[in-house]
Amino acid sequence: MQAIPTIEQNEAAVRFDAVTKRFDDVVALNAVSLDVQTGEFLTLLGPSGCGKTTLLKLAAGFLGPDAGAISINGRRVNELPTYQRGIGMMFQNYALFPHMSVADNVAYGLKTRRVPKPERQQRVAEVLALVKLTGMERRMPRQLSGGQQQRVALARALVINPTVLLLDEPFSALDKSLRTSMQVELREIQRKLGLTTIFVTHDQSEALSLSDRVAVMSEGRIRQLGSPVDVYRAPTDQFVATFVGDNNKLRGRLLSVGDSDAVIELGSAQIKVPSERLAKLEKSAPVDLFVRPEQFCVVSANEPSAMTGHVVAQIYQGGHVDLQIECPGASRDRLLVRSAGDQAVVRWPMGATVGVSIQPGGCAAFPAE
Amino acid sequence: MTERPFLRTFTTPAALCALGFAAAMAAVLQYSLRAYVPGSLDPGGFTLANFADLLKPLYARVFFDTVVICAVTAVATLIVGYPLAYALVHIEQPILKSTLLVIVVTPLFLGEVVRTYSWIIVLGNNGFINSILLSLGLVEKPLQLMFTSFGVVVALVHVTLPVMVIMLAAGLSHIDRDYARAAESLGAGPIRVFLTVTLPLSMPGVVAGTTTAFAWTFSAFATPQLIGGGRVNMISNLVYQLGFASFNFPFAATLCVAGLALTAVVLGLLQIAARPLQKIKVH
Ligand SMILES: Nc1ncnc2c1ncn2[C@@H]1O[C@H](COP(=O)(O)OP(=O)(O)O)[C@@H](O)[C@H]1O
Ligand SMILES: [Mg+2]
Repeated sequence: MQAIPTIEQNEAAVRFDAVTKRFDDVVALNAVSLDVQTGEFLTLLGPSGCGKTTLLKLAAGFLGPDAGAISINGRRVNELPTYQRGIGMMFQNYALFPHMSVADNVAYGLKTRRVPKPERQQRVAEVLALVKLTGMERRMPRQLSGGQQQRVALARALVINPTVLLLDEPFSALDKSLRTSMQVELREIQRKLGLTTIFVTHDQSEALSLSDRVAVMSEGRIRQLGSPVDVYRAPTDQFVATFVGDNNKLRGRLLSVGDSDAVIELGSAQIKVPSERLAKLEKSAPVDLFVRPEQFCVVSANEPSAMTGHVVAQIYQGGHVDLQIECPGASRDRLLVRSAGDQAVVRWPMGATVGVSIQPGGCAAFPAE
Repeated sequence: MTERPFLRTFTTPAALCALGFAAAMAAVLQYSLRAYVPGSLDPGGFTLANFADLLKPLYARVFFDTVVICAVTAVATLIVGYPLAYALVHIEQPILKSTLLVIVVTPLFLGEVVRTYSWIIVLGNNGFINSILLSLGLVEKPLQLMFTSFGVVVALVHVTLPVMVIMLAAGLSHIDRDYARAAESLGAGPIRVFLTVTLPLSMPGVVAGTTTAFAWTFSAFATPQLIGGGRVNMISNLVYQLGFASFNFPFAATLCVAGLALTAVVLGLLQIAARPLQKIKVH
């Protein structure tokens, strides 16, 4: 226990304070600080090997930090063993006890807490109803489908009213339709119970669609922490801009820097972006401009536009069409352009010469790398 | 079933070997049904008398003792072996781990006779244990450890231990660590995790190890011969006495057949008792 817990410290359900973890010479986590608010759904998002699982294991107590402090509800837990932390954890492979029935699996955490049998049975029944598994009590885990096993794992973690729910890529083994319905269900249950949740995924669309806040991680650090809209609309560095959502990276030139906005020249267009990260640059310095595929607008070649190119690929996606456009004058890479609806299929056929303009707002720019 | 192109290539030599073993077994079986002609190495006519003789208290007693010694040895090996196997699987420190592995496995390369002689040095009246007890004044005269069932069991445990540890460790290492982690996250301390998760999930290894230890001990010869010194007799020792001291080959063969049948029955019973465990899918 900390000597003088301040009020601020009691606010976060889980707090990582400059936590470092090394494995031999690999620095898995590098001075990570993160507050998870009570009741929020926070996602750790990052590529494989960036330290997400390690952070979760530190919260669970399966690993101890090399430096820094971890607290749960204001109480320092660095030295507290897992079984005294009151966490609920859902494992990627579910880790249902194979020798116990569904009911015994779910009741396990209540037995360790010495909950009397009548109450135990009632709570097991309630939580199984919550995850829509009523009637499955006597089944063994091997008699369940993947989705059902997942629900049992969730029920087992929920029944103990955990202070925080930890989930490590829980949906990565499910097929797409099941994954989507489980995501919706998890979020509904989490909202209903007001459960503080740390969710790990490497899937950026899963992170954006589920979370209250997303912590984007790379190489043992948190690169950006913010709402899904923040992370998507206003990435704080090139890594986040590239990793979260599809993005086009274009080389432009800085025309002017003001207090809040800067103007960037790209081909024949001038684009306004926030000036925050460009303040130190000289005029006409090269910048990397990130433009989302849906911010591009395809027009006929004879209309005024930022650049011209020709269509090299059409990818029909039902609700929208992705076009790949080669603009030799503006970018070495092909542009990915997203056009809502399906008119683009006939309007901009393969090989057509087109103009591409950029809708104002929502672009991000960084000093050129 | 997909085609298995090597199946025939490999079955042929296997079948030939099996044929050889079957022929040898048939010879033993044939001998067990023949009369003993004292003073002659050739057996007499066909008879069932040998099998009736098995029921004589003298011989029945040896069967009973053998089963008891095997059962006690198997259980004692399990009790000694489990912590070793557990440590072997869970120790992370590489040097400690390989040291333990070497200690556990080396006896395998020593052979039963060498290991048994080392126990004579330890268990004898002037042996290691008695010298210490005497010099500490804990006993007045040496404890009788040689020529007792206790001594035989101790030495047999040593003989079967490496195999037991290896089989248990194989079983334990197949248990996904996430089961224990899940139990911990649900509030189970180390002892409860062990009793409710690790131990039940390791039961297939326990059954396999115990069964093997039992079957292995059943045919023990050198250890009871040297440590038992004629006062502790197991079936193999009886076979030896009848076959090579009295040249009663027919009855020796009968003992072999009966021993084999008994082993099969005991192992069969163990398998049936362990059937519920087969349903546990650990992976
Ligand atoms: N037990 C371990 N021993 C050695 N290195 C490890 C161990 N666990 C993780 N690492 C390393 O730490 C880094 C972060 O791993 P991890 O947290 O599992 O990443 P993620 O879950 O984001 O894919 C990786 O480089 C990984 O190789
Ligand atoms: Mg991981």
